[in-house]
Amino acid sequence: VVSQSIVTPERLQSTAALKQTMDGYYQRLLEASQTGRQRVAWCTSVGPAELLYSLGFAVYFPENHAAILGASKTADRYIPRAVAAGYSAEVCSYLTSDVGALLCDETPLSARGFRGVPRPDVLVYNTNQCHEVQDWFELYGRRFGAPVLGVHTPLGLEEVDEATVEYVAGQLRGLVQPLERVARRGFDPEAFAQAVGRSREASVLWRRVLETARSRPAPLTFFDASVHMGPIVVMRGTQPAIDYYAGLLAELEGRVSAGVAAVPGELRRVYWDGMPIWFKLSALSRFFAERRTSVVASTYCNSWVFDPLDPARPFESSARAYCELFIARSERFKLGALQKMAADFAVDGVLFHDARTCARNSNGRFALPGRLREVTGLPTLEIQGDMNDARCYSEEQSKMAIETFLDQLGAR
Amino acid sequence: MLRVGLDLGSSYTKGVLVDAEGGIVDAFVRRTGYDYREAAREILERLSVGRRVDAPVFTCGYGREQVDGPIEPCTEIVALTRAVHALYPRAVDVLDIGGQDMKFIRLTAAGAIDSFRLNPKCAAGTGSFVEEAALRLGVDVAAFDALARAAEEPVRIGSYCTVFAVSEMLGALKNGAPLAGVVLGIYESVVDRATSLAALQGDLVLTGGLVAHHPRLVDLFRRRVPRVDAPARSQLLAAYGCALPRAVDASPRDRDA
Repeated sequence: VVSQSIVTPERLQSTAALKQTMDGYYQRLLEASQTGRQRVAWCTSVGPAELLYSLGFAVYFPENHAAILGASKTADRYIPRAVAAGYSAEVCSYLTSDVGALLCDETPLSARGFRGVPRPDVLVYNTNQCHEVQDWFELYGRRFGAPVLGVHTPLGLEEVDEATVEYVAGQLRGLVQPLERVARRGFDPEAFAQAVGRSREASVLWRRVLETARSRPAPLTFFDASVHMGPIVVMRGTQPAIDYYAGLLAELEGRVSAGVAAVPGELRRVYWDGMPIWFKLSALSRFFAERRTSVVASTYCNSWVFDPLDPARPFESSARAYCELFIARSERFKLGALQKMAADFAVDGVLFHDARTCARNSNGRFALPGRLREVTGLPTLEIQGDMNDARCYSEEQSKMAIETFLDQLGAR
Repeated sequence: MLRVGLDLGSSYTKGVLVDAEGGIVDAFVRRTGYDYREAAREILERLSVGRRVDAPVFTCGYGREQVDGPIEPCTEIVALTRAVHALYPRAVDVLDIGGQDMKFIRLTAAGAIDSFRLNPKCAAGTGSFVEEAALRLGVDVAAFDALARAAEEPVRIGSYCTVFAVSEMLGALKNGAPLAGVVLGIYESVVDRATSLAALQGDLVLTGGLVAHHPRLVDLFRRRVPRVDAPARSQLLAAYGCALPRAVDASPRDRDA
């Protein structure tokens, strides 16, 4: 029987430092967009941030913006505007909510002093996560008259071989000249190598942060990580990300040695595959905590772990790191990766969130849950939802399914 | 000892009074309407006439928390699982078709949930779909079963959306298709939808209000899946399951031991 006593998740002390770190990022971005002293580049969340930072750009991530629209529950107001403008309600709800906000001339960044999203001088995407980012960036490129540059990554990779790395590294090198023109400065190989080194350092810290949840009880949940991942997404390649994760890691290691649980009285451990449901993040965090269940690991938060980065070979290692992304891989690779995660984090079950408008991050669509059940013997659950479009999520049905699932795990 | 089990569903609220041996003493069903508490109150009152019933009330279904007084809630899947295992103490598949949900549950021989799956967020193929079709066709839904039995051929309905599916039916009728064939087509589309929830291996137990009110569906399932059974009063099963005394509902671990 599921415990119904009220248990709330433990708040991390680092949350204050997180706010400061993110404030600093937005402050730099605001200055760049207001003074023009720094050029502004838009970048996809797993795009070549290191290259852009090394060229002196202030880097803005529309996906981060879209996630804020989701988490602040404003996406529902904006999606219909984009749909009315001709975008299908079936395409990425990050795209439709972001474009809808643009059409409404609104942004949550206005609370930070922005008059609209920062105007891009260049937009750079990588299709390693999906192809919709290309269309998304093209729209803004047209609107702002800014050049749009892209890296096209082969998908469904079983192994990332040298030919693939060469192909993508060649594209990264190809970005240098056009970016130099926009940046109005020359490419500095040393600065790039340093940015890649800093990115690697932050990424390793981030991985170690996530790995603290291997401990029982876990000091961190997927819901915490979804909030604390901000710096690894937007400040990869810069010092503040390193500083932030060094502090967060110290706090979590302290929790581990003191036996402090993110979910007091942790009874069960679950793995979350797929996108966060941003508009229900805190509600779901409480829902699991009340049922003494720690969602200890996720595919999503682990997508910003880039161990292969190597300042000695910045282009090749970036290419490899960004090709090794989970969602760019084959079904067989994914099965092995999930199997390893389930074992490493000692989970009792795996939840697959099918995000209606994000096929690439919905890993249950090719029967992977069934194959994972076969190889691990772990129960799996599929729930239907979306990262931003609340119309795709039935809260009652999902809660009922999750509660049943937890009951199923408890009976094992 | 008399325990009350309440299944507060999206369309109907079902109440069952169960004795210590797990027998159904009395049962009552009403439309849920908009007020779960009121639906629960009325059923509790009816079941309590001339008897003393035990607290807490065992609840499941969407409105399981919306009941006054002491309650012990569980999900309808857990409740249904207990009831089905009490009736079929072996490994079975369960398909439950309710007002807006369709659930597939695979049970182990010990009565534990091996896996389960719900319909995607869409009510096509559920009770609401059949009711909507009856409403728009202007036919009493109670007449559907007899109509389906009289049909020679089903009119195939392809639309994924309930509203478009009904438009498709109206189009077929306009082109001279017999009403009976359209109703059989509605039933076939329910079976299509349900059998795509999981690869059914046979030894299938059909539960829920739709099958209870449309027994012809059971025959249609039998044409596609070996060994199909539909227990009597299957609409009451979840309510029954949540009220089952623990002696009847031994936990899987106890059984294995």
